[in-house]
Amino acid sequence: MPDFGDDVDNAIFSQILEMDENEDERDFSRPLVLGFFDQASETFEQMQQALDDKNLDELSTLGHFLKGSSATLGFNKIRDSCQIIQQYGHRMNVDSTAEPDEEVCLKKITDALTAVKADTTELEKVMRKFFGPAPDEDEAEE
Amino acid sequence: MFQDRIQPGPQQSSAAHQPAGIAGPDLDLIFDLAPLAVLILSPAWRIRRASCRFLSVWRVAADDCVGQELLPFLEKQFQPPRPAHLAHLIATIDDAIAARAERTSHPINASPAVSWKVRVIPVFNGDELVSIVLEWHDGPRSTLPDVDHEGDVVKPGLSTDEAFRILVQAVKDYAIFLLDTRGHIVTWNTGAEVLKGYKREEIIGKHFSLFYGKEDLDIKKPQMELEICMREGRVEDEGWRYRKDGSRFWANVVITAVYKDGVHVGFGKVTRDLTERKSSESRLIAAYEESEKLKSDFLANMSHEIRTPMHGMLSACTLLLDTPLSDRQRDIVNIMDESGQVLLQVINDILDYSKLASGSFSINSDIVGITSIVTSVVRGMQTSLPSSVHFELFLASELPRSVQGDPLRYRQILQNIVGNAAKFTDKGSIRVRASVQSEDDSNYMVLTEVTDTGIGVPEAAQASLFTPFMQFDATSTKQYKGTGLGLSIAKSLTELMGGRIGYRPNLERHGSVFWFTARFKKIKTLEQMGNWKITSHVTRTERQSTPALDSEVDELQKEIRIVSSIKNLLVVEDNLINQKVILGMLRSLGFRNVGLASNGLEAVRMVRGKPAAYDVVLMDISMPVMDGQQATREIRAGGVLVPIIAMTAYALKGDRERCLDYGMNDYIAKPVDKKRLIAVLGKWLLRMTDYRKNYEQRLAEFRRQNMSATPATPGEEAKQFLFDAKSTISPLRPADVAATGGSSNQVANPAADTATTEPPNRIAGDSVEQPEGPKDDFKALGMTLTLPVLNRDIKASGATQDSPALASNEQAVAVAEAKEKSDMASAEPLPRVEERVEERVEEHGCDSNVPELTPDLQAGLSHEQESPFEEARGSPDTVAAGPQPGLFRGSNSPPECPDKNTASSSVEVVEQTSPFSP
Repeated sequence: MPDFGDDVDNAIFSQILEMDENEDERDFSRPLVLGFFDQASETFEQMQQALDDKNLDELSTLGHFLKGSSATLGFNKIRDSCQIIQQYGHRMNVDSTAEPDEEVCLKKITDALTAVKADTTELEKVMRKFFGPAPDEDEAEE
Repeated sequence: MFQDRIQPGPQQSSAAHQPAGIAGPDLDLIFDLAPLAVLILSPAWRIRRASCRFLSVWRVAADDCVGQELLPFLEKQFQPPRPAHLAHLIATIDDAIAARAERTSHPINASPAVSWKVRVIPVFNGDELVSIVLEWHDGPRSTLPDVDHEGDVVKPGLSTDEAFRILVQAVKDYAIFLLDTRGHIVTWNTGAEVLKGYKREEIIGKHFSLFYGKEDLDIKKPQMELEICMREGRVEDEGWRYRKDGSRFWANVVITAVYKDGVHVGFGKVTRDLTERKSSESRLIAAYEESEKLKSDFLANMSHEIRTPMHGMLSACTLLLDTPLSDRQRDIVNIMDESGQVLLQVINDILDYSKLASGSFSINSDIVGITSIVTSVVRGMQTSLPSSVHFELFLASELPRSVQGDPLRYRQILQNIVGNAAKFTDKGSIRVRASVQSEDDSNYMVLTEVTDTGIGVPEAAQASLFTPFMQFDATSTKQYKGTGLGLSIAKSLTELMGGRIGYRPNLERHGSVFWFTARFKKIKTLEQMGNWKITSHVTRTERQSTPALDSEVDELQKEIRIVSSIKNLLVVEDNLINQKVILGMLRSLGFRNVGLASNGLEAVRMVRGKPAAYDVVLMDISMPVMDGQQATREIRAGGVLVPIIAMTAYALKGDRERCLDYGMNDYIAKPVDKKRLIAVLGKWLLRMTDYRKNYEQRLAEFRRQNMSATPATPGEEAKQFLFDAKSTISPLRPADVAATGGSSNQVANPAADTATTEPPNRIAGDSVEQPEGPKDDFKALGMTLTLPVLNRDIKASGATQDSPALASNEQAVAVAEAKEKSDMASAEPLPRVEERVEERVEEHGCDSNVPELTPDLQAGLSHEQESPFEEARGSPDTVAAGPQPGLFRGSNSPPECPDKNTASSSVEVVEQTSPFSP
């Protein structure tokens, strides 16, 4: 497995890869990981909607939701941004102190969302490269 | 100068009459006519000449004066005699001659009405004193004490300026002088002369940077000092200054800006020689260090001396504990033992500390297995932790298998930090993470972090955390014992190992993060490198977590594999990705029958619909519709004691603690670590008594007890039992129990109803709630359930069972049965299996609570016909995670179950209750 750097918890991610019965085909991890990116982009849209609606509760839920799957796959950078979204959705700072100013929360979430979108796009490129173009024609990794 | 022309003899009158020379009046004439009272003395102090003014003021004739010795002359003139004044004059003249400089005396009283200040001018020709000139000026009344004459008390007669000038001039211990505005020396006092070795004449006009050494000059210190002085009015400095002869002295220098009438005129500079003080300071410091070392040595020796008998005592305690003792005696010996251990720890701390302080601590070089050390420290600590605290261990995959360093010291640091975490954490988790921070050709820098959810460190105490003898909370020292040396020892040790240590608050949860780094050498032999390549590839999985635990986990995994195919699990998770991963993990552990619920409400329906169906429920906490905590409440409220394991993404404060409070039995942190999953599943599937068995045992007991009593109605009986079971087994709060007792909760009702209308039949049936396979198989498999425990019992009782082979089952069960003295016979309830299964199938048939499934999913499930288990086939809410059938088939799945379909069906399951679709 290549080293994906600090943005990916390699221990966790390799655990996912180990569930593949066949390392060449990766028919467990590939749809899972690629599915994650679908999930992520859907969630980002919903987050954007919630931001427009200034719905902090919804943002917190969405942050938690995507945090769960990103953490499961070991995508730490995305996870951390989601954590930020969740926290501010809860009207709390990252250190769990209260942040009563909703505008501040929304601002922070907007920033985090921008960052996490970019990070996700970046990671998706890396992952698509790792998993190869299509199941049929890809070559053995590494 | 005129002295050359002074002629001895009383010719002043003739001289006075001499005509003036061509260039001007005769010098003698000038001398005579000058309005000064002047005496010119020979080197032997005989009066050679007196000016006219002198003769007239003193009212003496020239003949009475010239040619006389000065002192007898003056004695005669002084009325009354004033020896003190005369002595002062003598001293002034002596001083002037010695200094080869003019001096002026204090006022000298020639008579009560007349006072003179005498200016003494010694005249030298080369080294030879040729003359002394005394100028007599009118002065104020003298200040000199004069015991000879009552009432003639001498008072200060100096003007302020004069007094200061004399004072400054006379001071010998300080160099005091003035600089002009640019730093050139303007005045020079005796002290300066003595201290710096320069004469007044040679130094005036020079720049004061002359006194500075090269280093100071390089950094332009003199200029800087003047600049600072201009800015701040004053500057003080200590440092080396140089004398004329090149020797140096340690100086304290104060420069003050001097202003006159608001105009900056220069700088006053005072220099003191502190060489002596400086050397005494260094002597003091040396003495202090010496005594500190002696103290440390003493401590080290004493600690060692104390430790030896301490070990003797502790060993004796241990031996004593092995002898037959009464309970009370045992308690006492235990106290002795525990106190001894604590004392020993204290002594060890002090010993280490003093060794570190005295610098006599050395770091050994040996092979270090970081992963195994971390694992063993964690394992050692785990046993002493309450069950409300659990360990999470993360060992980065890049950690080298072995390195060179001091294993003992690394362990000591970690032990200390983990020990602290354990000491200060009542509930929650302690996470130990080891990774390689950086790496070069020959070294690894290994970073070890310990994160706890304990009481944390108050901000004020953070700075002194690593200071010796600091315990951050004085009020809690009673609660948390220790010397306060641990962290300072750890700090010194990490520094010895080329690393650092630090603290930061745990941002995720209340608590602390302690981290430290340590440098380890790489082991560079070809052979070992070769080995690594092979092993790192083959055993990467194992290396990620815990090599030392690996064997245990492997063992456990094998045991789980034996039973996993007949175990029913329920996964409650709303996130599709997480669902897939956890199902994938379970599948890889051999679990075939895994139910899936995508929110708490679904889970409650599924569990309460089949109260004995599941062996373990894995429950996400934060879910739409109903969260995991509420779901657990509801399940418990329905009287179902199935182990519920929370899967928590560490997030909000107290989540984890609440899990237990809500009646969950255990938890796994998300992202789920497979080894942790194995450990937890092993615990609940293998190590714990099956909750249904417990149920039945208790029911049997209940029956026996009530055999002769008035028979209760079946409903009451069951209710009574449920109440009992919960209050003693499940970790529910009393409030929860009460809620079930008289359940008015709407969701709780259906289950309560079932319980009251159905038992005891149902309960009996539940005890053998197993997938319907060949009965003999079941029997065999069912027995292996309890085998690991039983086998251990057999060993303990001296039997010679070596392996948990199936062949020993009969015997094991026999032993178990004998032990438990239970009427729960494995054979008795068997006939009811079919009946029970039918009943349940019916239930499902009309159970509107079962989540609706799409045709696609149904299709996917229909492939489970290959499954040997009736149960799986019959229940639509069971998703098989087995390798052959199931949802998670790859692209090579059989045509009747295309990948696309299965994927979409699972998505729909999620979306059904997803908060994102209305």
